Formats: sequence, C-alpha cells, structure tokens
Amino acid sequence: MKREHQDSGCGGSGFPTKTAAEMGKMVEEEEGVDELLAALGYKVRSSDMADVAQKLEQLEMAMAMGNSTSNTAVDDATFISHLASDTVHYNPSDLNTWLESMLSELNGPPPPLPSSTTSANNRFDSSAITTAGYDLKPIPAPSPSPIVYGSDPPNKRMRTSSSSSSSTSRVAETAGPPPAAPGAASMPVVVVDSQEAGIRLVHALMACAEAVQQENLKAADALVKQISVLAASQGGAMRKVAGYFAEALARRIYRVSPAPHSAVDSAFADLLHLHFYESCPYLKFAHFTANQAILEAFAGHRRVHVIDFGMKQGMQWPALLQALALRPGGPPSFHLTGIGPPQPDNTDALQQVGWNLAQLADSIHVDFHYRGFVAASLADLDPSMLLPSGSGDASDEPEAVAVNSVFELHPLLSRPAAIEKVLSTIRALRPKIVTLVEQEANHNSGSFVERFTEALHYYSTMFDSLEGGAGSSIPDSVNGESNPDQVMSEVYLGRQICNVVACDGPDRTERHETLVQWRGRMNRAGFEPVHLGSNAFKQASMLLALFAGGDGYRVEEKEGCLTLGWHTRALIATSAWRVAAA
Amino acid sequence: MDDEEERERSLRGFNINDNVDLLVEILSRLDGRSLGVAACVCRLWTTVCRRDTVWEALCDRHVAGGAGGPGTRSVVAALGGYRRLYRLCVGPALDRLGRSGWTGTEADRAHVSLSLSLSLSLFSIDCYERLGGRERPASLLFLCKPVNVS
Repeated sequence: MKREHQDSGCGGSGFPTKTAAEMGKMVEEEEGVDELLAALGYKVRSSDMADVAQKLEQLEMAMAMGNSTSNTAVDDATFISHLASDTVHYNPSDLNTWLESMLSELNGPPPPLPSSTTSANNRFDSSAITTAGYDLKPIPAPSPSPIVYGSDPPNKRMRTSSSSSSSTSRVAETAGPPPAAPGAASMPVVVVDSQEAGIRLVHALMACAEAVQQENLKAADALVKQISVLAASQGGAMRKVAGYFAEALARRIYRVSPAPHSAVDSAFADLLHLHFYESCPYLKFAHFTANQAILEAFAGHRRVHVIDFGMKQGMQWPALLQALALRPGGPPSFHLTGIGPPQPDNTDALQQVGWNLAQLADSIHVDFHYRGFVAASLADLDPSMLLPSGSGDASDEPEAVAVNSVFELHPLLSRPAAIEKVLSTIRALRPKIVTLVEQEANHNSGSFVERFTEALHYYSTMFDSLEGGAGSSIPDSVNGESNPDQVMSEVYLGRQICNVVACDGPDRTERHETLVQWRGRMNRAGFEPVHLGSNAFKQASMLLALFAGGDGYRVEEKEGCLTLGWHTRALIATSAWRVAAA
Repeated sequence: MDDEEERERSLRGFNINDNVDLLVEILSRLDGRSLGVAACVCRLWTTVCRRDTVWEALCDRHVAGGAGGPGTRSVVAALGGYRRLYRLCVGPALDRLGRSGWTGTEADRAHVSLSLSLSLSLFSIDCYERLGGRERPASLLFLCKPVNVS
C-alpha cells in the first residue's frame, strides 16, 4: 500500500507529461480495457469508467476530509500504518475492486490524512479524470456530489464538467461536517485548498501544451476546460496568467487566429502601451538607460541625430531633450527620425508626436528637427532614406548618429533574413551608438512545449511584478482590479501571450530572445559592445526605488548591459553597441 | 508719557509682514509641507509662497547635487517652474524614498537620494504629456500615494 502511494506520488510530478505521452500510444492489453490507463498499469474496463471515476472522487474526498483546515503535513506514518494494519489489500491494478475496498475501509473511522499522499492521489486523479473525461457518459444527476474549491465562493463548478450536461453542475455551500454514512450513498462536501489547486493548475497547463504539441486536440480541449475551472480557484496573478494562457491555448486548438489589424485595434494597442508605460517601470527603465547611453555617446558633438525604430508616442525623448539642454557646453542641434507603422485610419500620428516634441524643444531652447517615416516593417528601410541629404546641408559639422530600438527588433525574427538586413542597414548608417532593449526570455527556439514553459515562467513573473508593484499600495478592494492601469497592462501582456502561444510562422511576431542570443547576433553583424556606465545604473536604481513595491525590482549589471527583473528573474535587458573597428 | 509710548512700541515687537525680504528668507528654509501651511496664513504669505525662488531653494536642499545653476533655472521655468517640480516630482519622490525604509547598505543609501537629472527627466515627461493635450498627465502618478475613495 505504501509503495503504491509512493509510486503514484513519485510519478505524480512528472505525471501529466507521462500521461500525455501515453495517450499517443494505443496499447490494447485486454478486450474492453481502457487503453490509456492500461498503459499505466491499471486495468479498468471501459464500461466501468464512469463508476471508477465516481469512486475515485469519493475516495479523494473522503481522504481530504481531515485535510480541510490546513495543508501542513499531517503525520504520514499514522495514515499509512492505519491502512497497512487494517486494510485488506486487493490488487491495486484492478481499480474497481481496490476502490471498493478503500471506500468501505475509509468511510468507517475518519483517518488523519497526510497532504503529500492526498496531493499525489489528486495528481493522479485529475490526470486520470482528465484523460478519461471525454470518454465518460454524462453522469446521472442524483448520484454525484458537488465538489467545491475552497477559496472562491462565487466560482463553483463540477470537476467533471467536461461532460457538459447542465443537470450535473450544481452550486454547493462550503463544507459542513461529513456525515458518517456507510457506502457511497451521500457524500461529504469538501474544501480543497487553493495551493493544491495551484499545483494542479500548472500541471494541467503543461499537460495541455504537451497534448497540443502532439496534436492530441481532444485531450487538449478537455485540459483547457479543466484549466479554466482550476484557475477560478486561484487568486491574483496566477489566476490572470492562467486565464490568458488558457485562452491562448484554446485559440491554438481551435485555430482561431486573432482578428486582423484594424484602426480600432492599433489605437487600442497604443492605449495599452501607454498604460503599460505608466503602471510599471519596465519601459521607463528602458528609456532612461538608453537615454543615458545616448547622452554619453553624444558628448562633445554639436550635431546629433537619433533614429527611433519605434516612435509610438515618443515618451522617451522629452527626457533626452531636457538632458541635452542642460549639458555642459549647451545643447546640440538635435535631429530626430521617428519610424512607425502605417496607420489604418490615415491620421498622421508620427507628425503629431513630432509636433509635440518640437513644442517642448522650443520651450527649452533646443534646436530641433524632426522627420517621420512610415514603414510596415523595419526591413523595408534603406540607409539612404535615413541619412540626411548632404546637399541641403551647408554645415560640415559631422553628425553623431544614434539608433534606438525598444522591443522593435524581435518581430523581425519571424521572417527569414529580415534581421540581417536591418542590422546591415544600421551598420551602414555608421552610428556612434546603437541602444537595444529586449525582453530577457527565449520564446523563439525549441519545441512548442519548451516555448510554452519558458513563456509561462516569464509572464507569471511579469504578472507578479504588476501585482506586487502598482497594486500593492492600493487597498485590495476588488482583488486588486480597481487599478485600471494594471488591468490595461495585463491586457497588453495578454496579447503577447496570445501571440507566443497561439500563433506560428510569420504571424508570431513576439519572438523574444535572450541577451546572450542578441549579443551573438550583434557580434556576428559586426558590432562591439559599449558598456553602460555607472551613471545609468545609479539612475535606474533610483528610478526603481521610486516605484511603490519597488523592493521586488532588481537592477543588475551583466558585462556592461543592464537588466531589470523581479526578484531573481531578469525580465528586460538594455545593451549598447557600436560598429566594431574593422 | 513718551517713555511709555516708546516702551509700548518696542513691546509690540517687530512685524514680519513689514519686511518681505526677511519673510522670504525665512520661508525659504521651510520644508514642502510647512510651505503649504504657510501659504494659508494671509495674502502676503500666499504671494511669497508662490514665488519660484522659495521652491527653488527647497529643491536645492533636498535634491542631490543641488538645484543647478542659471541654465537649469531657465529650463525648469520652461517646463513649469520649481513649485510644480516640487509638487509633482520632488515632493512625492522624497515621501516615497523616506517611507520605503530603504534597507540597503549605507553605500546603497548614498545613491538612492533623488538626483536632479532624474527629477527633471520625469518632470519633462509630464510637461510633454500636457503639451500633447492629455487632460490627465499620468506619467508621474506612480509617485503619488493612491487615495482610497471607497
């Protein structure tokens, strides 16, 4: 008995992966035996499946009874020894009879239950139910008992709701004292604590990704539904992240691609970007560190030219203008070339931004020149377009060029040779400095499951930081959703999640790569790194100290590049480059 | 009689409102909150407290590296003035830094004092937002303590 528990326990952690793998193998051992469970060593007749599922549930609930108040470890040995001494062991691989014996045993004296074995059984349980779920006939209404996830009273569902008959889903109140009834007639209602549900949620997400990778769409579909149910039992960041990942997985399974870009969509995207800028420090960090590098590179030059690959609202440039205005020796002549995507509704957003910046520059007496460029993709640009036409320029003052890219280079990786073309274009501009800010994650190589895992960790950390940052100083009225900026930022990140998980090929533009990978690319393209100085580091640290909940944010320096992360996980990285001496 | 009047006049003391320069000197040494309070005393004091020089002196004391020279003054004036700079940026930032109970080492503390360049950078972004016609410039909201209006 003990060995059996431990086996399912040990197998539990890797279980979902194994289950999914097993699903691909159609092993028929005996006539009428469910092949999936048989592959795992359990003989259950297909006709008995509903019955077995029901009994497993009852067993689990009975075992969790003693566990409803806390999940601290209850004495493992007590439970095991109780069963070891008193139970008659039937062959565990014959699930049906084994369950009968367990249930009749357990419905007698209520045993203290260790959380470890419970969770081990739960993991097995959920996977078994899940994989078998879509084979079950709808469970008749009177017999099953409702199962409640403890932490969220308004969100109660039947766990076997994959069979979507409405008569089987009932709302129940939270647990009362379990009746000591013999047999399986009336079952106690159990509160499952949310930490367990959290572990199950992650396993379900991984299992679903595996299923999708193996094109086992039926299983994936069942898992997605389970994920939604489990997510409802969680709170805060985990629920939101799981929600977005579940939606992205569903899109991938049903091949519903996100709607094509429209005027509303691009305006909405801009709005989301702005709220993301305001609510968390990532973009500000990016701008401030890049500006510091550019400022240092421009020291001593009387004519400077900045080419911004993603102009958006131009929030990066007021600070640079101000810094240039106040630099010793006075401000230079400042030229700005802003590049932006074509606007579907013909409004010239780029020009408007340029006009606003010009007003600001005028008020602080900086000589400002602006050019806006519309380009559907950065690969469409030519060096000749970007460099100033020499003829109209009477001054023979050499111009110092800076190229700035904040999250703009990774979409190029979705098309072949685009990144090489852009990097060679940059090189042809002979810039004094190239500032590059990118997400510190690998969402581009490896299999779908690897990408999914990496994205899950990355975005969980991002959402945690949103929760712990702006949200912490605000009283938690409605689960922290009272902050519209935070919600908008979450939607902004949710769209990225959707792209990483649900899209492929040229549609998948969120192809993040790590700093190490970008370093390799830049080195191969003929650039050498420029170390961001201690000024940038100090300014970034100061900026982070100003953010509420700022203790979670960490600025680190890695070989001259700065990364901003949440606790131990680096999330974005700023690096600076110049053309390598030939 | 004359002696008594003389004594009365000296006992009545010295009215600060008759010496605005002195008033300015004194008020320049106050902190932000006290300046706000002082501005409610009387019309003269309100006028004095609205002078940018007073707020410039305040910023000078609290910002690492001082409030900068005449060049800085013109830029700050263009961006909205020292009073606005303090209200939107330096004041909330100092509150935030003071309240956060920075647990780093002394060396860390040394460079977690607010610098002029950072304040001006943030201030310039705010000015830019107002130029862009945003009714509610929000780039500096992260500094403010959110108000529970429930």
